[in-house]
Amino acid sequence: MKAVETEVRNKAKELLEKGEVDLFIGYGKATIPLKSRPIFIAKDSAEEGPDDLVWDSFCSNNLAAYLQKYFENQPNRRKKRETPYPKIGMMAKGCDMRSVVALVKENQVIRENMVILGLPCTGMIDRRKVLEALEGQEVTEYRETEKGLEVTTRDGKSHSFDREEYLQPACKECRFPVPEGTDFMMPGDGRKPGDGGYARIKEFEQKSSDEKWEYFKTEMSKCIRCNACRQACPTCWCKECFADHTDLKWIGVGTDLSDTMIFQIIRIFHQAGRCVECDACYNACPMGIDLRTYTKKIVKDTQELFDFIPDFNTESTPPLSTFSEQDTDGFITDPEEH
Amino acid sequence: MKQALLDKKDIGKLLKSAAVDSPVYAPVMGNSEIEFTRIADGSEAVSLEYSNLKLSPKGIFFPQTETLLTFDFDAVEDVPEPESGIVVFGSRPCDALSLLYLDKVFGPENKGYDDPYYMKRREDSVMISLACSEPCRTCFCTSVGGGPADRKGSDILMFDLDEGIFFRAETGKGEAFLEKYSSLFGEPGADTEKKADEQGNEAALSMETLPVDKEALKKHLDDGFEDPVWEKLTQNCIGCGACTYLCPTCYCFDISDEQRMYKGKRIRTWDACQFPQFTKHASGHNPRNTKLERLRQRFMHKFSYLPENMGEIYCVGCGRCVTNCPVNIDIREVIETFAKK
Amino acid sequence: MEKTESWQPKIVAFLCNWCSYAGADLAGVSRLQYGPNVRIIRVPCSARINPQFIIKALQNGADGVLVSGCHPGDCHYISGNLVARRKFALTKKFMEYFGIEPERVQFSWVSASEGGRFAALMNRVIDDVKKVGPATKLVKEL
Repeated sequence: MKAVETEVRNKAKELLEKGEVDLFIGYGKATIPLKSRPIFIAKDSAEEGPDDLVWDSFCSNNLAAYLQKYFENQPNRRKKRETPYPKIGMMAKGCDMRSVVALVKENQVIRENMVILGLPCTGMIDRRKVLEALEGQEVTEYRETEKGLEVTTRDGKSHSFDREEYLQPACKECRFPVPEGTDFMMPGDGRKPGDGGYARIKEFEQKSSDEKWEYFKTEMSKCIRCNACRQACPTCWCKECFADHTDLKWIGVGTDLSDTMIFQIIRIFHQAGRCVECDACYNACPMGIDLRTYTKKIVKDTQELFDFIPDFNTESTPPLSTFSEQDTDGFITDPEEH
Repeated sequence: MKQALLDKKDIGKLLKSAAVDSPVYAPVMGNSEIEFTRIADGSEAVSLEYSNLKLSPKGIFFPQTETLLTFDFDAVEDVPEPESGIVVFGSRPCDALSLLYLDKVFGPENKGYDDPYYMKRREDSVMISLACSEPCRTCFCTSVGGGPADRKGSDILMFDLDEGIFFRAETGKGEAFLEKYSSLFGEPGADTEKKADEQGNEAALSMETLPVDKEALKKHLDDGFEDPVWEKLTQNCIGCGACTYLCPTCYCFDISDEQRMYKGKRIRTWDACQFPQFTKHASGHNPRNTKLERLRQRFMHKFSYLPENMGEIYCVGCGRCVTNCPVNIDIREVIETFAKK
Repeated sequence: MEKTESWQPKIVAFLCNWCSYAGADLAGVSRLQYGPNVRIIRVPCSARINPQFIIKALQNGADGVLVSGCHPGDCHYISGNLVARRKFALTKKFMEYFGIEPERVQFSWVSASEGGRFAALMNRVIDDVKKVGPATKLVKEL
């Protein structure tokens, strides 16, 4: 991955110097262990430069979440722009690229104004799982190796973590590790595509209504309505979220369990045909709520019902804005049937 | 009684006895995190194995969702008075200090706008804090006027030592508590307090202290309001409220009415200045329309405006915002950037 | 709300103006009997239904929600119910996955001439909801 990192830095430098991009969004080193942070590099940026870009197994943020605000006031608003839209360069894993494609289809991002560096992804390490395994011991140093992760904790002990075992679950199941349709592809091989992870959803579907509800209630009782999940999600880009409507409220603002549960139900429902299972929501949540059981469900249903999955194709029509004569009526209640 | 020693296995007994007389909150493992939980009968699995709890004890005195009154077609009813005399067991010194800061905002000091709901809960409350033996690297209490064994805000300071938990009363309330449950405690040894002080000093020395001078920092922030460095510091913020809600000194709230047909209630809920609609006017105008303005406001409020109005930096260095920010915005970087200018 | 002997379910029915509402009207004119438990909300087309309406109804205390539109191919607005069909299919599965009993959220197609079918549908839905009892899961207490 170090070789790819150098390649990314060089490419970013080149793009900035030649003026092909005004801003480059990538991953940089975080101030706390086992994490990376999104960094924004402009040509004459004194603070951070292309040499601050990193590419390792902790680059799990979905950078597409930042794109929408650079491309505001799209042509259909018929408002004359004084300044042209900026040219944005970006590092993109498979999931980031699919989010960009989803945003392009929804006219939130102008693909022609973007220069995307595709990164074949071998998966991100699950920070939460590693910290849990360390049982509260603070990480003082960490180093990635061929096999995985070497960590030194405060008490001086060393710990080894096997990469496969401590990979983020979304990455293990990922079906699109190598981005397509990028402008420049970085060298290297991505993971072998996973199986999508529908098995655990099928298992969950077998539970009784009450069991499902109990689980959902337990998870949602942890929610503090901080909206980190919604803000971290690249496809949650509404200027005014349904949850924030005050003149006639859909849901209240507090932590009433009913409100919290409806917030998640609707938020994840709104991701139908758009969720790329990047787990940005799950990673952003400070309380560690299991959102993955639900995001994966909407992806599975959309694929099974409408044969649609948000991949790299910018021409496909979003499934809920179209229909087919062959769509199933299986959910209909027929009073004559028993 | 000013000092006492408790056998670690007797924590449950102590909490059980205290729970008979007062509402007691102690750290108990919840669904996935250790959180302050109301003690019913002492059988709860109280754990002191944490650097700090995810949620601060401010939620005990200033609940995230609180009903202020209920109404129906004919009448408006006040809610029953909140309970007082709350005992909080196991908070950290930073969290205890944060409650003093909240007292200034919600209490009579704040130009007479005292908040009866918060003040009633704070009445006669007993804060039994656990001094830190191994502060995290993300903690920076020593940089903002606190410390791992700081006494401010705590009625009793506990030290987790080999021979047991050493309780040292810091106020009259603390002494009264130790007196009340003296039968459960033992005598500390001759050098127990010395060991406790050593632990505290070592802990403080192990921390990296940032160069924070309250007045200088305020001046630099005020002068640097339009500084282009804010662009860099706030660019990766995604605009959630995780930092605000986990922060022990953030206190902004929203009051809204919830009703169905002719019945309803007025509730107070936590609000975050990071949310876009926090400053949105009824006209639609939003004075803090960009993320930069909102995040800058957070730091200005804590390090400039509140020091001016209340005399203290409203940050206790607990580090929760640092560890939980999804995009690693680091308040220490902001402090360092402006402390240097 | 507890299930007592006297408990009667409250069903909210969103009916599209051109087919299902007319069908309900026909049932009424023909004096076809169905339970008094249904509150009807008329919408121009089943496509108007936002899944949030269904959830809001459940939050406000409805024991069951029914959404009914024109048969596919017969929509007054040509394709409204076809677009809605996808939404409804997802909504039904999703609500069930969270743990809401499938009997509580039901969808159907009823045409303007199917008064009998409407009455039968209502009775069916009422029976289904009676079996699962009063709704408690998403209900917000005020």
